[in-house]
Amino acid sequence: MLNKIPVWRKVLLYVVLILICLVTLLPLLWMLSSSLKLDKDVFRIPIEWIPSDPAWSNYQRIWDQVPMLRFTFNTFKITIITTIIQVFTCSFAAYGFAKCQFRGRNLLFLIYVATIAVPWQVYMLPQYSMMNNVFHMVDTHAVLILLHSFDAFGVFLLRQFCMGIPNELLEAARIDGLSEYGVYRKIVLPQMGPSIATLVIFTFVTNWNDFMGPMIYLNSTELKTVQLGIRMFMGQYSTEYGLIMAASVVSLIPVVIVFLIFQKQFVQGIATSGLKG
Amino acid sequence: MAVKEKTERKARPSRKGGMTLRQRRTLVGLSFITPNFIGFFVLNLIPILFALLLCFNRWDGFNPMEFVGLDNFRYIFTHKVFQQAVVKTVIFTVCSVVITMLLSLGLAVLINQKLKGIGIFRTAIFFPYVASVVAVAAVWQMLFQKDMGLINEILRVLGVSDPPGWFASTKWALPGVIIVNIWKNMGYYMIIYLAALQDIPTSLVEAGMIDGATAWQRFWRIKWPLLRNATFFVVMMLTINSFKSFDLIYALTEGGPGTATTLLSQYIYNQSFISWDYGRASAAAMVLFAIVAVITLFQFRLEKKFSND
Amino acid sequence: MMKKLLSLVLAGAMCLSLLAGCTTGGTPDPTGTPAPPATNPPAEQSETPNEPAELTGTLKVSLWDLAADPIFASVIKAFENANPGVTVEPIDIPSADYGTKLSVMLNGGSDVDVFWVKDANTIYPIAKRGQMADLSSYIARDSLDLGIYNGLAENFNIDGKQVGIPFRTDYYILFYNKDIFDAAGVEYPSNDMTWAEFEELAKKVTMGEGVDKKYGAYFHTWQACVENWAVQDGQHTIMDTDYSFFKPYYEMVLRMQNDDKTCMDYGTVKTANLHYSGVFSDGSVAMMPMGTWFSATMIDKINKGESSVNWGIATLPHPDNVEAGYTVGATTPICINEASPNKDLAWEFVKFVCGPEGAATVAGLGGVPALLDDATLKVISSVDGYPEGALEALQVKNIALDRPIADKVSEIDQMLGEQHSLIMLGESDLDTVLADMAEQSKSIQG
Repeated sequence: MLNKIPVWRKVLLYVVLILICLVTLLPLLWMLSSSLKLDKDVFRIPIEWIPSDPAWSNYQRIWDQVPMLRFTFNTFKITIITTIIQVFTCSFAAYGFAKCQFRGRNLLFLIYVATIAVPWQVYMLPQYSMMNNVFHMVDTHAVLILLHSFDAFGVFLLRQFCMGIPNELLEAARIDGLSEYGVYRKIVLPQMGPSIATLVIFTFVTNWNDFMGPMIYLNSTELKTVQLGIRMFMGQYSTEYGLIMAASVVSLIPVVIVFLIFQKQFVQGIATSGLKG
Repeated sequence: MAVKEKTERKARPSRKGGMTLRQRRTLVGLSFITPNFIGFFVLNLIPILFALLLCFNRWDGFNPMEFVGLDNFRYIFTHKVFQQAVVKTVIFTVCSVVITMLLSLGLAVLINQKLKGIGIFRTAIFFPYVASVVAVAAVWQMLFQKDMGLINEILRVLGVSDPPGWFASTKWALPGVIIVNIWKNMGYYMIIYLAALQDIPTSLVEAGMIDGATAWQRFWRIKWPLLRNATFFVVMMLTINSFKSFDLIYALTEGGPGTATTLLSQYIYNQSFISWDYGRASAAAMVLFAIVAVITLFQFRLEKKFSND
Repeated sequence: MMKKLLSLVLAGAMCLSLLAGCTTGGTPDPTGTPAPPATNPPAEQSETPNEPAELTGTLKVSLWDLAADPIFASVIKAFENANPGVTVEPIDIPSADYGTKLSVMLNGGSDVDVFWVKDANTIYPIAKRGQMADLSSYIARDSLDLGIYNGLAENFNIDGKQVGIPFRTDYYILFYNKDIFDAAGVEYPSNDMTWAEFEELAKKVTMGEGVDKKYGAYFHTWQACVENWAVQDGQHTIMDTDYSFFKPYYEMVLRMQNDDKTCMDYGTVKTANLHYSGVFSDGSVAMMPMGTWFSATMIDKINKGESSVNWGIATLPHPDNVEAGYTVGATTPICINEASPNKDLAWEFVKFVCGPEGAATVAGLGGVPALLDDATLKVISSVDGYPEGALEALQVKNIALDRPIADKVSEIDQMLGEQHSLIMLGESDLDTVLADMAEQSKSIQG
């Protein structure tokens, strides 16, 4: 009954999508092309999109000049652990805020959201002092993992999605004798697929690209992350843009892979429920 | 104990003897929140509260602080750069929120289709959010370059004889920064809308189809009301993030030319790391915080109103 | 039920602490052992500089861009070679964020022992917070003569405390492209030239049109590249509250930019993100006033084959009222953290890197050490790749600080930077901006 998209609409759709993607992919194309250039040619206008003499050696040099492999490993470690902690504690708290009735809930939630509005510039120093003087955790990976695992953002995101789950569904489960924890695990968690995928993507990207946190908290070279590594090609008086772009392109690969894996969650709804057309 | 009795009278005693249903519910609710809250409280809330209390003090970041009452507020409110920064931040935020929200919603609807290769398109649209700020700033500076940049070339072809100087002009730098900001963030909010669209029960949409509603009617009557939780989130996060926007603008213009693109967060940064005056930085952050808090409360009211319907 | 929950929470907490435990990659700080006071009573035999009293311990030293700039690594290595018992742990910070991180570290109670200060703007605030140790007693004990730093050391004497020792100094000189001068048939710039003569000379060597245009001069987008010439005579500083002394130099640069078109347009340079090193090394400008640090960049570019410019250096053009050799610059000091548990050892490091051995290492890499004398200049100018005649060009009589070591200097600098862009873009009229600068300067300085 509800059948396929007509061909002309499909073609139109593709044309529109391709045009949009051209605009959004512009910096990627530029990064790719700059990563194959010498520093002096990177900022030449008009832009030479396909370098006439590609400097493939840039992709070799980024591994030789700084310990990029080590940095990549460190970044993976921090990012993956943070993402796991965040998904668990946030989805738990989100259920509490969205579906459990208790006193002080809204006030507590308001505090969570309000803290997102405080710029890091003002609380970075108190946070650092605390980490240094109370917890003695400066120059460890643990400090970055802890700081990023309990952001209010994830709770807010998942709570909004949790709100959308119909209460009747939960009531029915409760009447069937499930405890709140059972409801969370058996009913809520399976319903949150797309939103958890969203949180995974965001957490992964934020941590992978974080520069300020590692810059402030890490001192030892062997603990540093990819974003700090990229800055090592930037000197006070000269910057190796070709290498920076090559390293940036390489550092994008994991993020794109994570995105491609988790965005599959977004098709599920359509695929399983038979909405066609 | 009066409180307890009151609640006991109201709520039916639960199966498990000693505790009321109300208390049990509170405990269960708190148990869900606690694991996250402990981390949040110790690692974020304490330093944030400390930072906000600084607004009544003069502090260089190291030596004992000195209570100065409202002096910091008096200073920033009479500071020309601060006043300008507030006005510009509001303009920046309003434009960014409205346009980004519409674009991201439109993109999400457009991309929420079963088409071959749609994953690639989604990735491409999300890409600007992932790309490093350094690269994004560099490429947009070249595109906006006043003499030979691609954008002005196109404008000239379209018959604009005297295209704007963009980042080299006090008038056009802010619009330029807004454009780049929207471009960078629309993919992010698109993902949120996309996830929310997945949550809409398909039975509802199918029911609409059987009723013979057009695609447009189906969207406004069925999907849009169901997107309100996501919209609340998008508007809140967009507002907060626009108010706090720093890295991208700094990379594009460093707040210039003059102070044309010096927004509130840059002002706070300058107070903290150029003037070393944490009290003033904190006072400016309080102003930002207050604006966001008012918007949040307003939004909460709206949310409540809708959920009571 | 509750038990289950409790155990769940506990398990979660344990997981976290375990995670925290196993991810603690950093060593737990071996500097806990007090520094050996090996050099405590050396007063009698202070004539022998390198007595074999063995120094041992670990020093944490904060610096920037370790990978990109060989100078820090080399002086550290020289120190470690001379004192095999000492390990120096560098804390390498990206240069763009050095000031931010250093201040957060010091404010947050870090136990870093020694730090270089990259930005003149941040010296006074750090000293004022009491985070720089007073070195006077060490200087007296070792009878170190600060006179060898040609007056530079006095800049770091704040409120009677000697808080830093000059390590490196950089000053402005004139870089020029011999090929363009040869093509124009004009004689190379001399080591004694006024700014007016410079402006005239720029006209003679400006050639070509469009993409191939060779500009006679290039001023980078920093406000320093105009305002420095106004403080070069040592009569004024940027901390003044009347900026009319800037006016002749702004007029000159605007004239060159807008009327004569002998220098690149500020707006173009700024929006095209041009870097001075690119502009000079690809041969599009004939003359560029720039800091001495740029020599090392040029030598590197030529060695890597990225540039084939035949370059030379000359003394910076000077204002009418002073002679050649008056220039502007900045000095990088090295300081000891007041909170360092290792001050004695830290002092040995400071003394070494700022002393003759350190200076020789810096000079050997083409950098200009603060300990500057004819012998050092000879070493620098004979570094492989330095152009001929460098020894004469590098001679200085006086180095005025581009940013004085004073309170509020970073705010003034920030304000001047904002206003500078307005002047150069023609967004505002020069007199209006200068008046506004004065007003803001007064309000900042109170």
